Amino acid sequence: MSKYSVNQTVLREEKYVVEALQEMGFEVEVYPDGAQLNSYYAEQEAKVANIIIRRQHLRGAYGDIGFTRQPDGQFAMVKDELDEYRGYGAKWLGRVQQLYKEKQTLAMARAKGYTLKGREVVETSEGQQVRLQFVARR
Amino acid sequence: MQEKTITVTIDERGNSTLDLDGFAGKSCERAFDDFRGGDLVKEERKKAAYYTGQQVQREKTQH
Repeated sequence: MSKYSVNQTVLREEKYVVEALQEMGFEVEVYPDGAQLNSYYAEQEAKVANIIIRRQHLRGAYGDIGFTRQPDGQFAMVKDELDEYRGYGAKWLGRVQQLYKEKQTLAMARAKGYTLKGREVVETSEGQQVRLQFVARR
Repeated sequence: MQEKTITVTIDERGNSTLDLDGFAGKSCERAFDDFRGGDLVKEERKKAAYYTGQQVQREKTQH
């Protein structure tokens, strides 16, 4: 072994955020210049996002859920605080990050000539882990 | 020659681990950067092979 690291997934590439949400079964709207999110409280200040799932596609949600591109290029999740307790909190975002990271990794590896040797899904006490193994040509 | 493998393990909490095996020196850094993407590194460890490889490269350069 030559190197080992633990990393926090950062959502940066719109394409893979959209693909991850679609794989979770959501209908996604993309707005390069941003669009307003509908929230439960009409009087709340309108939030703007670049990637939006409307509440009619989110079972039990009070408002729309969006992802807004930040000045540093990262996407940040935007939602009604109430939806934190309706199944759209950290665990939900973690699943989005998991799918994003897998898609982004597979695409990068293909583009840079790494060979996918295997993919397995491992059940652990902390949920499912996706394990991808690649071989470098040189 | 030892095979160079990269194992990426992605959990459901927004974390991943990156395990590089059989690499040394610059090729290790290159593969690490490729697979890290733009992610935030929370913990990083270099293993013995990394340094051994650097030493071998340096010795070859000197001769």
